[in-house]
Amino acid sequence: MFETYIKDYNEAVFEIDKELALEIIETALKDGVTPEQVVFDIIIPSIEEMMAEISINADTNLAQHFMTAQIAAEITEKMLAKFESPPEIIGRVIIGTSYGDLHSLGKRIVMGCLKSMMVDVVDLGVNVKAETFVDAAVAQDAQIIAISSMMVHTATGEEGSLKVRSLLKERGLEDKIKLVVGGAPYRFDHELYNKVGADSWAADGVTAAKIIRELILEGKS
Amino acid sequence: MTPLEILSATISGQASPRVPVFCNLLDQGAKLLNIPPKQYFANGEYVADAQLKMLQHYGHDNVWSAHYVGKEAQLLGCKDILFADNGVPNVADFVIKSWDDIATFEIPEDITQQPTWQAMDDCLKILSSEVGATHPICAYVTGSTTLPAILMGMDKWMELVLIGPVELRDELVRKCSLFVQQQLKAYRAAGANVIIYANPFGSTYFIPKKRIVDWSMPWMQEDLKQGTGSIVYYGGMAPINSVIEMVIDKLKVNIFYPAPEDDIRESMRLINGKGLTSGVLDDIKMIHWTEQQTRDEVKRIMTLGKTGGHFLFGTGFMPLKLPEENIIAMLDAAFKYGRY
Ligand code: B12
Repeated sequence: MFETYIKDYNEAVFEIDKELALEIIETALKDGVTPEQVVFDIIIPSIEEMMAEISINADTNLAQHFMTAQIAAEITEKMLAKFESPPEIIGRVIIGTSYGDLHSLGKRIVMGCLKSMMVDVVDLGVNVKAETFVDAAVAQDAQIIAISSMMVHTATGEEGSLKVRSLLKERGLEDKIKLVVGGAPYRFDHELYNKVGADSWAADGVTAAKIIRELILEGKS
Repeated sequence: MTPLEILSATISGQASPRVPVFCNLLDQGAKLLNIPPKQYFANGEYVADAQLKMLQHYGHDNVWSAHYVGKEAQLLGCKDILFADNGVPNVADFVIKSWDDIATFEIPEDITQQPTWQAMDDCLKILSSEVGATHPICAYVTGSTTLPAILMGMDKWMELVLIGPVELRDELVRKCSLFVQQQLKAYRAAGANVIIYANPFGSTYFIPKKRIVDWSMPWMQEDLKQGTGSIVYYGGMAPINSVIEMVIDKLKVNIFYPAPEDDIRESMRLINGKGLTSGVLDDIKMIHWTEQQTRDEVKRIMTLGKTGGHFLFGTGFMPLKLPEENIIAMLDAAFKYGRY
């Protein structure tokens, strides 16, 4: 019964029409769909559909990713406030841009996608030191550290992902905390994540949410 | 023929001995002179000196003005650039902090009177007198629909473009376009003979084609209304094949600098002899290549590109991490396989 909503909603998001997307959700609520159903039966499946779409159609653009993340996160936040009982959060991610890097768009898109997939996200902002990432992950009991870098020197430099890896190793945290990276340099060189000691990477925000969710679930099992 | 003559012949489709070879070395200059990037980029003489030394050392075709993109933000009031010894300079202070700042944001009457311009001017003067008659001298101008990204941050700009008030968005772009026009004029007057017009918001990697047609294109036309001579259309390394036909038709620009992801054969098919395209090597991948892999990739690009003529070989903004051997191997292969 939710197929039509999902289809209409996704079309609106793909057309970057925020108002229409919000209207579709309003209509669903009026039709008697519960806030829980909006999140679990419309928003999450719609993101999953988007993932499938992206893997077959390379011609999606950043605007669509941005809108997917933005709208889904906004709606999810609104709906969560209306849930009967607090939702079960899958896990927690510490996110930020690497030391020396002030590019914030990638991080924002990834965060939006994660939030709407019931992953708790702690945002450390831009220009974040390796120690800060690790300390925060320990303090907040996070399963994932996610680092966004838009430049080669901040992706591959000694103060970035490489240092987070060595700190995780030093402190014996490698089993507990996984390291995920993303941003332009990784899209140019698909093997780069390996060379900076990361466990995984993703080429876009929607896929990022997918692999992060999988890593969290893997860790649990 | 001089590198400049080779480039001109390539653009106009006349016979030339080889493919022009652009190798974009910017941050390497500071390393070479062993001067911290902040001091280096603030002094046009240093930059010109290093550019000329690198030209001699590597033997590629083009030199660059005292450029990093943050300079455009500095000309518009940005107070802080984050320099790194191991990488590119980054804007660290946003001139526009909230939407309210757009109304009061102003373009200087004459950018050439700004202190930041001085180094650019000094550098271009030296380069013009030394190699202006023989070599392409490159300058870089960010398109008006992308420039706000370095004035307010990319995420805030994306938000304003996609879900913000249209009038506010266009008020900002209008101001930016005036700045672009000033820059183009100033660069041409100072002796730049190749102008890289960078506009990722003119790439379908960023926004859907329809938005480019309805919104970016009219602004690009405004940016370039003084003329499109020596303008190179560049997506900032975002793919541009899907807009090539539209750009030729509507913007009347016919020199293209695609991304490594753009299929070279497809770029050539789209341009169809009506202009020049470039085969751009992925210099981020090159960091981890062997010399042989580097040569093989240059050979692949040249083999594809030479078949159609009207072809230039180029790189991105070469990362500092690139091994010297690979740069040398790349250029050696480019001259070898680029011969007609
Ligand atoms: C737009 C752009 C610009 C614009 C705007 C820059 C800005 N953001 O402020 C302009 C034209 C102004 C510009 C300037 C510069 N740029 Co620029 N730019 C780009 C471009 C085209 C896109 C970058 C961008 O903003 N993308 C937005 C992000 C969100 O897109 P994305 O990477 O697709 O993000 C997705 C994924 O990466 C993933 N993701 C992102 N983060 C994360 C995190 C995790 C954990 C995961 C899993 C996934 C993930 O999900 C995201 C959403 O789908 C890239 C090339 C390219 N094709 O990517 C070059 C690029 C980043 N720029 C580059 C350079 C060098 C510069 C300059 C330093 C040039 C100079 N010498 O001054 C300046 C710096 C400006 C500054 N900020 O001070 C280089 C960097 C490489 C290097 N040499 O270090 C690139 C790669 C181009 C190149 N190959 O030469 N640039």
